[in-house]
Amino acid sequence: MKLKRICKVCLLVLLLLNVTGCWDQKGLDRQVFVIGIGLDKAKENGKINVTYLIANPEVGTSQTGGATDEPALMTVTMRASDFISMRNNANSVVAREISYDLLNVIFVSEELAQEEDFMRFLYTSEKDREIKRDVILAVTKEKVQDFFAKNKPLFLKRPHKYYENMIQRGVEIGIIPKSELHHFFRVTEEDANLFLSIYATAQMPTKENKYRVNENDELAGELKVEGQTNTGQFLGSAVFLEGKMIGTMTGVETRIAMLLHDAIPVRDVLTVFPDPFHENYQLTVRLIQQKKTTVELDLKAKPPRIHVTLPLTIDVLTDPSMENPVENKKKIEEIRRAFEKLMEREAMSLVRSTQEEFKAEPFGWSLHARKEFRTLKEYMDFDWMKTYPDMKVEIDVELRFGKFGRQPKTPSYEGIRD
Amino acid sequence: MKQTEGKIGIREYVAILLLALGTKLTDDTPSLLYGTAKNSAWISMLLIGILTVVPILFLLKVFSVHRNKNLHELNLHLFGKVFGNIVSLGMLAFGFSALVLDSATYVNIISNIYFTKTPPIAIYIIMGIVCGYGAKRGIQHIGSAAWITLSYLKVTLALALFVAFTKGNSKFLFPLWGPGTKEIVKTAASKMSIFADFYFIGIIAPVVNSFKEFKKGTFIAFSFVLVEITIAIIIYVMLFDFTSIEVISYPFHEAILYISIGFLKNVESIFLPFWLIAAFIRFSFYLYMVLVLFGGIFKIKEYEYLVPVMVVLIVFLGTSPQFATYTVPYLREQLLMILSPIFFLLPCFMWLIAKVRGDFKNEVKKDM
Amino acid sequence: MFKLLKKLTGRKQKRINFKDTLEKQSNQKDQSVSRQIDVNIEQIKKIYQFPDNKDVKFREFRIGGTGKRVAIFFISSITDVRTIEDSAIKPLIQTTEIKAEIKEILSTQNVTSLSEIKEVVTNINTGNAVIFADNATKAYAFECANFQGRSVERAENEVLIKGSKEALTEKVIVNLSLIRKRIKNESLIAESITISERSQNEVFMLYIRNVADDQLVGNIKNRLETLNVDAIQNLSLLEQYIEERSFSFFPSILYSERPDRAASFLEDGHVVLLMDNSPDALILPATFWSFFHTPEEHYLRFFFGNFVRLIRASSMFITIFISAIYIAVTSYHSEMIPPDLLLAIAGSREKVPFPVFFEILLMEAAFEFIREAGLRVPNPMGPTIGIVGALILGQAAVEANIISPIVIIVVALSGLTSFTMSDISLNYALRIIRFLFILSAGLFGIVGMTSLFAVGIFYLVSLKSFGVPYLAPMTPNFVSSGDTIFRRVLKNEKFRPGYLKPTDMKKKSNGAIK
Repeated sequence: MKLKRICKVCLLVLLLLNVTGCWDQKGLDRQVFVIGIGLDKAKENGKINVTYLIANPEVGTSQTGGATDEPALMTVTMRASDFISMRNNANSVVAREISYDLLNVIFVSEELAQEEDFMRFLYTSEKDREIKRDVILAVTKEKVQDFFAKNKPLFLKRPHKYYENMIQRGVEIGIIPKSELHHFFRVTEEDANLFLSIYATAQMPTKENKYRVNENDELAGELKVEGQTNTGQFLGSAVFLEGKMIGTMTGVETRIAMLLHDAIPVRDVLTVFPDPFHENYQLTVRLIQQKKTTVELDLKAKPPRIHVTLPLTIDVLTDPSMENPVENKKKIEEIRRAFEKLMEREAMSLVRSTQEEFKAEPFGWSLHARKEFRTLKEYMDFDWMKTYPDMKVEIDVELRFGKFGRQPKTPSYEGIRD
Repeated sequence: MKQTEGKIGIREYVAILLLALGTKLTDDTPSLLYGTAKNSAWISMLLIGILTVVPILFLLKVFSVHRNKNLHELNLHLFGKVFGNIVSLGMLAFGFSALVLDSATYVNIISNIYFTKTPPIAIYIIMGIVCGYGAKRGIQHIGSAAWITLSYLKVTLALALFVAFTKGNSKFLFPLWGPGTKEIVKTAASKMSIFADFYFIGIIAPVVNSFKEFKKGTFIAFSFVLVEITIAIIIYVMLFDFTSIEVISYPFHEAILYISIGFLKNVESIFLPFWLIAAFIRFSFYLYMVLVLFGGIFKIKEYEYLVPVMVVLIVFLGTSPQFATYTVPYLREQLLMILSPIFFLLPCFMWLIAKVRGDFKNEVKKDM
Repeated sequence: MFKLLKKLTGRKQKRINFKDTLEKQSNQKDQSVSRQIDVNIEQIKKIYQFPDNKDVKFREFRIGGTGKRVAIFFISSITDVRTIEDSAIKPLIQTTEIKAEIKEILSTQNVTSLSEIKEVVTNINTGNAVIFADNATKAYAFECANFQGRSVERAENEVLIKGSKEALTEKVIVNLSLIRKRIKNESLIAESITISERSQNEVFMLYIRNVADDQLVGNIKNRLETLNVDAIQNLSLLEQYIEERSFSFFPSILYSERPDRAASFLEDGHVVLLMDNSPDALILPATFWSFFHTPEEHYLRFFFGNFVRLIRASSMFITIFISAIYIAVTSYHSEMIPPDLLLAIAGSREKVPFPVFFEILLMEAAFEFIREAGLRVPNPMGPTIGIVGALILGQAAVEANIISPIVIIVVALSGLTSFTMSDISLNYALRIIRFLFILSAGLFGIVGMTSLFAVGIFYLVSLKSFGVPYLAPMTPNFVSSGDTIFRRVLKNEKFRPGYLKPTDMKKKSNGAIK
């Protein structure tokens, strides 16, 4: 009986020792939440300039609660070896513990992304437990510091929502890719594809606003936008090969790449084609991908051939020439042929530029190729990246017509101008 | 009505096995396979399953004629006193080191991923107390606890795996034969002791209600666990390609760190308690088995009093490696490689000796 | 530990008066009825200290016919005086038969003859009247007990919408009648056992002879008979005497004020204890599910009953865990919260002085205070206190920035959901466990909560109530009606609980369809 008592007392004492700790406890009011990290090149070797975008939790807190006139965001820029040691560096000015729980986006300036060593800095994110693998990687044209300073979005009570929504919507319509760190690591390690990352900027356009059929056929920063609205633009993609940025792609090219890649679902694409009946006008169509892209590979032939079939359903939504193609079967056929040819031409030009300029493909065709090999060694020996630029690629677009807008027919132009 | 004191039914028995073996897919066991078999680790796993049927069958055959003996008594009976004790002692050493290394791995997982600032020994103490309490209660209660929590644990596991499946890409499984058939077979042969637990369940063989239930339960648990682990291995490869999977030490936890369900972005803390309960039950079970074996060899009747001693020993041994993150997985791999051939050959030996001794002459046909 | 310290400091132990007056009292009664009526009368008067004891009554008269002297003793406050007058005194006085025995003249429902003074005293104490006759070695006692008590009223603690609303009362005769109303079977045995020495409290043990296990019945009877106490006033005290583990959080004997519950448990093979002065019944053995279920779930149809079960199961979960989860998530696992909520909580926490752990403890303690006060508040002031409590503790505390509004929601939710547990013992058990979980969550987050939960599961599984595992029939598995968390269609609940080892396993319920 006495022994039992002694045992129980010892157990309690042991538990008490654990009580003295609560090591991992962090009160919510002792933390501050970083919603975006920016990485800029530093002059010194082995260092980078890290910018934190910190959200103010008080802003927009409750319906009744104290309306603060403090700003919703705070930015901190310091030089650091990586963004994990930065957490403590920033504590010399930030009052609370830095927490990465709400981290959504990592911005990199184009300058830093073109460095050979950029990849080393990015891999530190694999070591920190709080940076999840689904954090988005984005490249900015100018220094991230300046991007954060100039980017003042309106309707901004919750800054983390701005980035989240912007990226989500952009990915939905296909003008920017969903560049998660998870995919970056995989693509870089597999060493067979290109990695596309979001391209953003807050700079004013430098080139003049040339004529182009598709307004999205540009990079971020080249769109001329007037009025009282957000200054930041997210459009197009930065192209990474083996962890280094080697070029860019416009919004339209990015969209075509998304359509050709069968693992990435793209919805709600509104694009514009020149009207086959009237030179000056364009038809707006909605592209819906209901079936997956099929890829047929013939790797034994010399040169190896790839045949891609892209089945799309299009809704023709406008009819500026007021020609009423709906009524005429021949006209519909003509539109279809014209669109198919146009799309195939655009896709082929993109493929050619990847073969010649980038020397690798972002379409994920290497994954299809994997099925053709028995062992990893065979696949590695084939070396997709080396053989890709010499491959013969054929792209077949199959269009089906869907709807023609809410009201398919429009009155004829001549009838009105009578 | 059929319950007599101290026996467990087939439900509890299968539940214990499912939890003790099923949690192997949540620690670093898959990464042991991925190291050499890369993206074809699932083929290795299936091979291991097929190979393990042989020792299990032999073991069951030997138990069918010695129904009321547990593993240690069986060893004594077959191999004689001296050699039998040596065999049991060897088994005890393996079992104990497996217990220490596995619990050290789990404490590492909690310490690295969930509670980064807490000193690991505090986590170890908590685990030690809970598992010691469970082992002290006895096998019936471990079985009951396993049966109660089984469905909830398996459902959440299925949910996590399913969500990971939807985020994955099946093309990552190709090329199908990965590093080559020779590598795959080699991995399977050297890591067969993943299922070595099936040898140790001989210790609780007499506690199950009837031998028929023991046999049926073993097969049900074996097939279920095999399917479970294989599916999990496939899903991990689908989520992380063969390039990343080699460097990730705990694929299950990486997977639940990555996935998001609807509006919840970070769901790992939802799956944490379920995983923890499975871990507690697994270690209580291991501790109980080590205790029974220890009590059998050194002829200690009241082995419950050994629990505090054992727990303290395990805690101190588990926290002693200097560079825990490196030495523990390394030692574990070594242990598994040594144990694999033993696990395969020992039941064959036992069957042979039983046959030679003529124990099978009095086989009762009707209960098979 | 304190005894040890006291011994060390050399304090003398207090001397306790060990006089056993009960012994002396019973020695007084060790005599037999004497032939002479005066000796008997003197004896009884001395024992009862008549005429100091005002309600002990004594009447001496002569039987008509033979003219024999008789004396009648009774305690008027606990007897039905009309019965005594009409059925005993009147016929004796008015009888003209010479040869008739007293037994044959008395027109009461029963007459017993007694030969020991001890038995006479027992009979008078339990409300019977005793008649002494001159020249007879026996005294005659007949039943006319009429203890005052409450009438059958509505059940207050276990409220049902669909089902009977009667509750057991303090009179055991009424309770027996309510139960026998539901089980009209000759095998329903009501045995009586006297359990205390000084107060002579009687316990009635009910069971159905050809259903309940004889061993179980014998075991319980043995337990009751080996009790050696001065007084056990009612069943709540008896429960604490016969339960196996006094220090366990979970009750092992069910306590119900509804006769329909008692009857349904009897039919399953349980044993029910009834006592005077207890408006309830003790049902044993009890498993965890007996505490969790309410009769309403069986009175409702299949889906409705299961829906209620689902709500009660989730509310049990919520009441234990929600405060602890709140502490664990905000202190240790803040990444789990959706970003908007996280920023909102962080924003509101800035103004609050206390850490989350302390806040929750404060609010939970306040809630428990309100609850206890609400039970004891005298009726005229009841509603006012409720409003004051809600206003002060809720609104004002938030406005004064002592606690954040989310804590109020969490604590109110956990308190409200605990009310779905109608069994009072389980209710208290859950409330205490909730505090344990809060403590463990504050120390170690979700890992601490899960560890405590695992320990709790191991503990629960190992509890036994009179030989029955606490969580049967979920585990270990027994043949039973399959009614644990969810119930089945009534027609399919065919078997009695196997863990009680009943003599007859199958309830005849093949539906009404032949």
